[in-house]
Amino acid sequence: MMKVDPAKKWSGPMRPYDLVKEIVVAIVVIGLLACGLAALFSSPDEKAVTLKSWVTAAPADFAQVATGELAGTTGSAGYGAPYNTAAKGQHFGFIKLQDWAGVRIPINPANSFVVEPLLISNDATAIAAVNTWKAATADQRGKWANAYEGALTKAGDKTTLPDPNNSFGPVPAMIDGLSMMAASGALDGALLTSDSTLPTNFTKPMLFLADSDGYFGALATKQHLGGDQWGVMNETGSWPGQSWLWLFSFWYQIDPFKSSDNADTIIMLIMALLTLALMFLPLLPIIRRIPYKIPVHRLIWRNWYRSPASKQ
Amino acid sequence: MQLALINLNHPAHYFSFGPFAISGGNLAIIIAMCVIFIAALFIPFPHSNNFSQDDKKEDRK
Repeated sequence: MMKVDPAKKWSGPMRPYDLVKEIVVAIVVIGLLACGLAALFSSPDEKAVTLKSWVTAAPADFAQVATGELAGTTGSAGYGAPYNTAAKGQHFGFIKLQDWAGVRIPINPANSFVVEPLLISNDATAIAAVNTWKAATADQRGKWANAYEGALTKAGDKTTLPDPNNSFGPVPAMIDGLSMMAASGALDGALLTSDSTLPTNFTKPMLFLADSDGYFGALATKQHLGGDQWGVMNETGSWPGQSWLWLFSFWYQIDPFKSSDNADTIIMLIMALLTLALMFLPLLPIIRRIPYKIPVHRLIWRNWYRSPASKQ
Repeated sequence: MQLALINLNHPAHYFSFGPFAISGGNLAIIIAMCVIFIAALFIPFPHSNNFSQDDKKEDRK
Protein backbone atom coordinates (compact mmCIF):
# COMPACT_ATOMS: atom_id res chain seq x y z
CA MET A 1 0.00 0.00 0.00
CA MET A 2 1.30 3.49 -0.91
CA LYS A 3 2.34 5.50 2.17
CA VAL A 4 1.31 9.16 2.20
CA ASP A 5 3.25 11.70 4.19
CA PRO A 6 0.58 14.02 5.69
CA ALA A 7 3.18 16.78 6.20
CA LYS A 8 3.98 16.93 2.49
CA LYS A 9 2.28 19.66 0.40
CA TRP A 10 -0.24 18.47 -2.21
CA SER A 11 1.50 18.47 -5.57
CA GLY A 12 -1.41 17.24 -7.72
CA PRO A 13 -3.83 19.39 -9.70
CA MET A 14 -5.97 21.99 -7.90
CA ARG A 15 -9.11 23.76 -9.04
CA PRO A 16 -11.52 26.34 -7.57
CA TYR A 17 -14.62 24.96 -5.86
CA ASP A 18 -17.68 27.08 -5.02
CA LEU A 19 -18.96 25.46 -1.81
CA VAL A 20 -21.52 28.23 -1.10
CA LYS A 21 -22.99 27.83 -4.59
CA GLU A 22 -23.27 24.08 -4.05
CA ILE A 23 -25.02 24.52 -0.66
CA VAL A 24 -27.50 27.03 -2.15
CA VAL A 25 -28.26 24.72 -5.09
CA ALA A 26 -28.68 21.74 -2.70
CA ILE A 27 -31.06 23.67 -0.39
CA VAL A 28 -33.17 24.93 -3.32
CA VAL A 29 -33.38 21.48 -4.97
CA ILE A 30 -34.21 19.67 -1.69
CA GLY A 31 -36.73 22.40 -0.77
CA LEU A 32 -38.50 22.12 -4.13
CA LEU A 33 -38.49 18.31 -3.85
CA ALA A 34 -39.89 18.40 -0.28
CA CYS A 35 -42.67 20.87 -1.19
CA GLY A 36 -43.49 19.05 -4.43
CA LEU A 37 -43.65 15.60 -2.81
CA ALA A 38 -45.71 17.00 0.12
CA ALA A 39 -48.24 18.41 -2.36
CA LEU A 40 -48.26 15.13 -4.30
CA PHE A 41 -48.46 12.63 -1.44
CA SER A 42 -49.23 14.62 1.76
CA SER A 43 -48.21 12.89 5.02
CA PRO A 44 -49.62 10.28 7.42
CA ASP A 45 -52.40 11.64 9.60
CA GLU A 46 -53.67 8.64 11.53
CA LYS A 47 -56.40 9.45 14.05
CA ALA A 48 -55.04 9.25 17.61
CA VAL A 49 -55.85 6.10 19.59
CA THR A 50 -57.28 7.08 22.98
CA LEU A 51 -58.69 5.32 26.02
CA LYS A 52 -62.10 6.56 24.85
CA SER A 53 -61.68 4.97 21.40
CA TRP A 54 -60.44 1.77 23.11
CA VAL A 55 -63.43 1.38 25.46
CA THR A 56 -65.83 2.30 22.64
CA ALA A 57 -64.37 -0.22 20.17
CA ALA A 58 -63.51 -3.05 22.58
CA PRO A 59 -65.24 -2.57 25.98
CA ALA A 60 -64.65 -6.18 27.11
CA ASP A 61 -60.92 -5.92 26.37
CA PHE A 62 -60.78 -2.65 28.31
CA ALA A 63 -62.50 -4.25 31.33
CA GLN A 64 -60.13 -7.26 31.26
CA VAL A 65 -56.99 -5.12 31.00
CA ALA A 66 -58.18 -2.69 33.70
CA THR A 67 -58.86 -5.66 36.01
CA GLY A 68 -55.42 -7.01 35.11
CA GLU A 69 -53.93 -3.68 36.26
CA LEU A 70 -55.60 -4.21 39.66
CA ALA A 71 -54.39 -7.83 39.77
CA GLY A 72 -50.86 -6.83 38.75
CA THR A 73 -50.80 -9.26 35.82
CA THR A 74 -50.34 -6.83 32.91
CA GLY A 75 -47.16 -6.06 31.02
CA SER A 76 -46.63 -2.68 32.67
CA ALA A 77 -47.29 -4.13 36.17
CA GLY A 78 -44.48 -6.65 35.69
CA TYR A 79 -42.17 -4.52 33.54
CA GLY A 80 -39.55 -3.45 36.07
CA ALA A 81 -37.45 -0.30 35.59
CA PRO A 82 -38.04 2.51 34.84
CA TYR A 83 -41.60 2.09 36.18
CA ASN A 84 -41.37 -0.34 39.09
CA THR A 85 -39.28 -3.04 40.74
CA ALA A 86 -41.51 -5.96 39.72
CA ALA A 87 -38.76 -7.44 37.51
CA LYS A 88 -35.01 -7.17 37.06
CA GLY A 89 -35.54 -6.43 33.39
CA GLN A 90 -33.41 -7.23 30.36
CA HIS A 91 -29.79 -8.22 30.74
CA PHE A 92 -26.90 -9.77 28.85
CA GLY A 93 -24.32 -11.36 31.11
CA PHE A 94 -23.22 -8.74 33.60
CA ILE A 95 -24.78 -5.95 31.47
CA LYS A 96 -28.09 -5.02 33.12
CA LEU A 97 -28.98 -1.72 31.46
CA GLN A 98 -32.61 -1.68 32.62
CA ASP A 99 -31.72 -2.48 36.23
CA TRP A 100 -28.83 0.01 36.26
CA ALA A 101 -31.09 2.82 35.00
CA GLY A 102 -33.38 2.27 38.02
CA VAL A 103 -36.95 3.37 38.67
CA ARG A 104 -37.07 6.91 37.29
CA ILE A 105 -40.80 7.11 36.36
CA PRO A 106 -42.50 5.33 39.28
CA ILE A 107 -45.88 3.98 38.19
CA ASN A 108 -48.06 1.58 40.13
CA PRO A 109 -50.60 0.55 37.44
CA ALA A 110 -53.37 -0.34 39.92
CA ASN A 111 -53.15 3.07 41.59
CA SER A 112 -52.14 5.17 38.57
CA PHE A 113 -54.57 3.75 36.01
CA VAL A 114 -57.57 2.80 38.16
CA VAL A 115 -57.64 3.97 41.80
CA GLU A 116 -56.40 7.56 41.44
CA PRO A 117 -58.54 8.45 38.38
CA LEU A 118 -61.68 7.05 40.11
CA LEU A 119 -61.02 9.15 43.20
CA ILE A 120 -61.24 12.35 41.13
CA SER A 121 -64.41 11.22 39.34
CA ASN A 122 -67.92 12.21 40.48
CA ASP A 123 -69.14 8.59 40.54
CA ALA A 124 -70.19 7.97 44.17
CA THR A 125 -70.55 4.19 43.67
CA ALA A 126 -67.06 3.91 42.20
CA ILE A 127 -65.55 6.09 44.94
CA ALA A 128 -67.20 3.92 47.63
CA ALA A 129 -65.79 0.82 45.90
CA VAL A 130 -62.33 2.39 45.83
CA ASN A 131 -62.54 3.08 49.55
CA THR A 132 -63.45 -0.59 50.19
CA TRP A 133 -60.49 -1.59 47.97
CA LYS A 134 -58.07 0.69 49.85
CA ALA A 135 -59.25 -0.59 53.23
CA ALA A 136 -58.60 -4.25 52.30
CA THR A 137 -55.32 -6.10 52.72
CA ALA A 138 -53.03 -6.63 49.71
CA ASP A 139 -53.79 -10.34 49.83
CA GLN A 140 -57.55 -9.76 49.76
CA ARG A 141 -57.24 -7.25 46.87
CA GLY A 142 -55.22 -9.80 44.90
CA LYS A 143 -57.88 -12.48 45.44
CA TRP A 144 -60.71 -10.16 44.30
CA ALA A 145 -58.88 -8.89 41.23
CA ASN A 146 -57.55 -12.29 40.14
CA ALA A 147 -61.00 -13.88 40.54
CA TYR A 148 -62.69 -11.13 38.49
CA GLU A 149 -59.97 -11.14 35.82
CA GLY A 150 -60.33 -14.92 35.46
CA ALA A 151 -64.11 -14.67 35.25
CA LEU A 152 -64.02 -11.85 32.65
CA THR A 153 -61.48 -13.75 30.52
CA LYS A 154 -63.67 -16.84 30.69
CA ALA A 155 -66.80 -14.84 29.83
CA GLY A 156 -65.15 -13.47 26.66
CA ASP A 157 -67.04 -10.38 25.49
CA LYS A 158 -68.77 -9.45 28.78
CA THR A 159 -67.89 -6.05 30.27
CA THR A 160 -69.35 -6.72 33.72
CA LEU A 161 -70.37 -9.81 35.65
CA PRO A 162 -72.69 -10.54 38.59
CA ASP A 163 -71.05 -11.61 41.85
CA PRO A 164 -73.44 -14.07 43.59
CA ASN A 165 -70.68 -15.48 45.82
CA ASN A 166 -69.19 -12.07 46.69
CA SER A 167 -65.78 -13.21 45.46
CA PHE A 168 -65.02 -10.11 43.37
CA GLY A 169 -65.41 -7.55 46.19
CA PRO A 170 -65.49 -3.92 44.94
CA VAL A 171 -63.68 -4.73 41.69
CA PRO A 172 -66.75 -4.89 39.34
CA ALA A 173 -67.97 -1.49 40.58
CA MET A 174 -64.48 -0.02 40.10
CA ILE A 175 -64.16 -1.40 36.56
CA ASP A 176 -67.70 -0.26 35.64
CA GLY A 177 -66.88 3.23 36.95
CA LEU A 178 -63.56 3.30 35.06
CA SER A 179 -65.25 2.15 31.83
CA MET A 180 -67.83 4.94 32.10
CA MET A 181 -65.08 7.44 32.85
CA ALA A 182 -63.12 6.24 29.80
CA ALA A 183 -66.22 6.33 27.56
CA SER A 184 -66.79 9.98 28.47
CA GLY A 185 -63.17 10.89 27.65
CA ALA A 186 -62.49 11.92 31.25
CA LEU A 187 -59.98 9.09 31.82
CA ASP A 188 -57.75 10.35 28.98
CA GLY A 189 -57.68 13.76 30.63
CA ALA A 190 -57.17 12.32 34.13
CA LEU A 191 -54.13 10.25 33.11
CA LEU A 192 -52.62 13.07 31.07
CA THR A 193 -52.86 15.71 33.74
CA SER A 194 -52.34 13.63 36.88
CA ASP A 195 -48.69 14.72 37.22
CA SER A 196 -48.82 18.13 35.59
CA THR A 197 -51.53 20.52 34.47
CA LEU A 198 -50.02 20.56 30.98
CA PRO A 199 -51.27 17.59 28.91
CA THR A 200 -47.90 16.78 27.37
CA ASN A 201 -46.87 13.59 29.18
CA PHE A 202 -48.49 10.58 27.49
CA THR A 203 -46.61 7.94 29.50
CA LYS A 204 -49.58 6.71 31.55
CA PRO A 205 -52.23 6.44 28.80
CA MET A 206 -49.62 4.88 26.48
CA LEU A 207 -48.63 2.26 29.07
CA PHE A 208 -52.26 1.47 29.83
CA LEU A 209 -53.07 1.13 26.10
CA ALA A 210 -49.96 -0.95 25.46
CA ASP A 211 -51.18 -3.51 27.98
CA SER A 212 -54.02 -4.30 25.57
CA ASP A 213 -53.02 -7.00 23.10
CA GLY A 214 -56.62 -7.41 22.03
CA TYR A 215 -57.17 -3.83 20.84
CA PHE A 216 -53.92 -1.86 20.69
CA GLY A 217 -51.80 -4.84 19.66
CA ALA A 218 -54.32 -5.77 16.96
CA LEU A 219 -54.30 -2.20 15.60
CA ALA A 220 -50.49 -2.31 15.33
CA THR A 221 -50.52 -5.75 13.69
CA LYS A 222 -53.12 -4.61 11.15
CA GLN A 223 -50.83 -1.73 10.10
CA HIS A 224 -47.72 -3.99 10.00
CA LEU A 225 -46.22 -2.07 12.91
CA GLY A 226 -45.52 -5.11 15.13
CA GLY A 227 -41.95 -5.79 16.19
CA ASP A 228 -42.02 -9.14 14.38
CA GLN A 229 -43.33 -7.49 11.18
CA TRP A 230 -40.34 -5.17 10.56
CA GLY A 231 -42.68 -2.65 12.21
CA VAL A 232 -40.02 -0.10 13.11
CA MET A 233 -39.39 0.37 9.36
CA ASN A 234 -43.04 0.82 8.45
CA GLU A 235 -45.48 3.70 8.43
CA THR A 236 -49.26 3.85 8.65
CA GLY A 237 -51.14 3.76 5.34
CA SER A 238 -49.05 3.27 2.20
CA TRP A 239 -46.43 5.90 2.96
CA PRO A 240 -42.80 4.80 3.03
CA GLY A 241 -41.36 4.43 6.53
CA GLN A 242 -37.92 4.45 8.12
CA SER A 243 -36.20 1.99 5.79
CA TRP A 244 -32.77 3.01 7.13
CA LEU A 245 -33.65 1.13 10.35
CA TRP A 246 -33.65 -2.19 8.46
CA LEU A 247 -30.62 -3.56 10.28
CA PHE A 248 -32.07 -2.82 13.75
CA SER A 249 -35.33 -4.42 12.65
CA PHE A 250 -33.66 -7.40 10.96
CA TRP A 251 -32.42 -8.96 14.23
CA TYR A 252 -35.95 -9.01 15.67
CA GLN A 253 -37.10 -11.24 12.79
CA ILE A 254 -34.70 -14.14 13.37
CA ASP A 255 -33.91 -16.55 16.16
CA PRO A 256 -32.47 -16.54 18.75
CA PHE A 257 -33.27 -12.83 19.10
CA LYS A 258 -36.99 -12.85 18.29
CA SER A 259 -37.72 -15.39 21.02
CA SER A 260 -35.36 -13.87 23.59
CA ASP A 261 -36.62 -11.95 26.61
CA ASN A 262 -33.44 -9.88 26.39
CA ALA A 263 -33.69 -9.07 22.66
CA ASP A 264 -33.54 -5.27 23.07
CA THR A 265 -30.33 -5.37 25.11
CA ILE A 266 -28.64 -7.95 22.87
CA ILE A 267 -29.58 -6.13 19.65
CA MET A 268 -28.44 -2.78 21.06
CA LEU A 269 -25.08 -4.37 21.87
CA ILE A 270 -24.80 -5.91 18.37
CA MET A 271 -25.58 -2.56 16.76
CA ALA A 272 -23.07 -0.79 19.02
CA LEU A 273 -20.45 -3.32 17.94
CA LEU A 274 -21.29 -2.86 14.25
CA THR A 275 -21.20 0.94 14.66
CA LEU A 276 -17.73 0.67 16.22
CA ALA A 277 -16.70 -1.56 13.29
CA LEU A 278 -17.93 1.13 10.87
CA MET A 279 -16.01 3.84 12.78
CA PHE A 280 -12.79 1.84 12.70
CA LEU A 281 -13.24 0.49 9.15
CA PRO A 282 -9.83 1.74 7.96
CA LEU A 283 -8.15 -0.28 10.72
CA LEU A 284 -9.91 -3.58 10.09
CA PRO A 285 -7.88 -6.12 8.11
CA ILE A 286 -9.55 -7.64 5.01
CA ILE A 287 -12.41 -5.10 5.21
CA ARG A 288 -10.05 -2.18 4.54
CA ARG A 289 -8.82 -3.92 1.37
CA ILE A 290 -12.32 -3.92 -0.19
CA PRO A 291 -11.77 -0.64 -2.14
CA TYR A 292 -8.74 -2.27 -3.79
CA LYS A 293 -10.85 -5.27 -4.85
CA ILE A 294 -14.01 -3.27 -5.69
CA PRO A 295 -12.68 0.16 -6.77
CA VAL A 296 -15.94 2.12 -6.98
CA HIS A 297 -13.95 5.32 -6.30
CA ARG A 298 -12.05 4.74 -9.53
CA LEU A 299 -15.36 4.72 -11.39
CA ILE A 300 -16.40 8.01 -9.78
CA TRP A 301 -13.05 9.67 -10.49
CA ARG A 302 -12.48 7.81 -13.78
CA ASN A 303 -11.37 10.92 -15.69
CA TRP A 304 -8.67 11.60 -13.13
CA TYR A 305 -7.47 7.99 -13.12
CA ARG A 306 -7.35 8.07 -16.95
CA SER A 307 -5.31 11.30 -17.01
CA PRO A 308 -1.52 11.13 -17.32
CA ALA A 309 -1.19 13.19 -14.09
CA SER A 310 -2.63 10.36 -12.01
CA LYS A 311 0.09 8.00 -13.12
CA GLN A 312 2.94 10.27 -12.02
CA MET B 1 -58.95 15.64 5.40
CA GLN B 2 -56.83 14.47 2.50
CA LEU B 3 -55.71 17.22 0.11
CA ALA B 4 -52.89 15.28 -1.59
CA LEU B 5 -53.00 14.69 -5.33
CA ILE B 6 -52.15 11.01 -4.73
CA ASN B 7 -53.91 9.41 -1.78
CA LEU B 8 -51.66 7.01 0.17
CA ASN B 9 -54.06 6.75 3.11
CA HIS B 10 -54.97 3.11 2.47
CA PRO B 11 -53.45 -0.24 3.59
CA ALA B 12 -50.01 -0.84 2.11
CA HIS B 13 -49.04 -3.76 -0.09
CA TYR B 14 -46.28 -5.90 1.43
CA PHE B 15 -43.77 -8.09 -0.39
CA SER B 16 -42.69 -11.09 1.70
CA PHE B 17 -39.98 -13.65 1.12
CA GLY B 18 -38.86 -15.84 4.02
CA PRO B 19 -38.30 -13.72 7.13
CA PHE B 20 -38.16 -10.58 4.97
CA ALA B 21 -41.16 -8.34 4.44
CA ILE B 22 -41.10 -4.88 2.91
CA SER B 23 -43.83 -2.39 2.09
CA GLY B 24 -44.32 -1.12 -1.45
CA GLY B 25 -43.47 2.43 -0.27
CA ASN B 26 -40.17 1.40 1.32
CA LEU B 27 -39.27 -0.73 -1.72
CA ALA B 28 -39.94 2.21 -4.04
CA ILE B 29 -37.68 4.49 -1.95
CA ILE B 30 -34.87 1.90 -1.86
CA ILE B 31 -35.09 1.35 -5.64
CA ALA B 32 -35.04 5.14 -6.18
CA MET B 33 -31.93 5.44 -3.95
CA CYS B 34 -30.17 2.68 -5.94
CA VAL B 35 -31.08 4.37 -9.25
CA ILE B 36 -29.76 7.72 -7.98
CA PHE B 37 -26.55 6.07 -6.74
CA ILE B 38 -25.94 4.33 -10.09
CA ALA B 39 -26.77 7.56 -11.95
CA ALA B 40 -24.30 9.44 -9.74
CA LEU B 41 -21.62 6.91 -10.67
CA PHE B 42 -22.11 7.24 -14.40
CA ILE B 43 -23.34 10.79 -15.02
CA PRO B 44 -20.16 12.87 -15.49
CA PHE B 45 -19.34 15.83 -13.25
CA PRO B 46 -19.69 19.16 -15.05
CA HIS B 47 -16.29 20.06 -16.57
CA SER B 48 -14.94 16.69 -15.42
CA ASN B 49 -12.93 16.27 -18.63
CA ASN B 50 -10.70 19.19 -17.69
CA PHE B 51 -8.23 17.22 -15.58
CA SER B 52 -5.52 16.94 -18.22
CA GLN B 53 -6.14 20.49 -19.54
CA ASP B 54 -5.98 21.97 -16.04
CA ASP B 55 -2.80 20.05 -15.34
CA LYS B 56 -1.20 21.45 -18.45
CA LYS B 57 -2.20 24.98 -17.36
CA GLU B 58 -0.73 24.30 -13.92
CA ASP B 59 2.49 23.11 -15.55
CA ARG B 60 2.81 26.26 -17.64
CA LYS B 61 2.68 28.51 -14.51
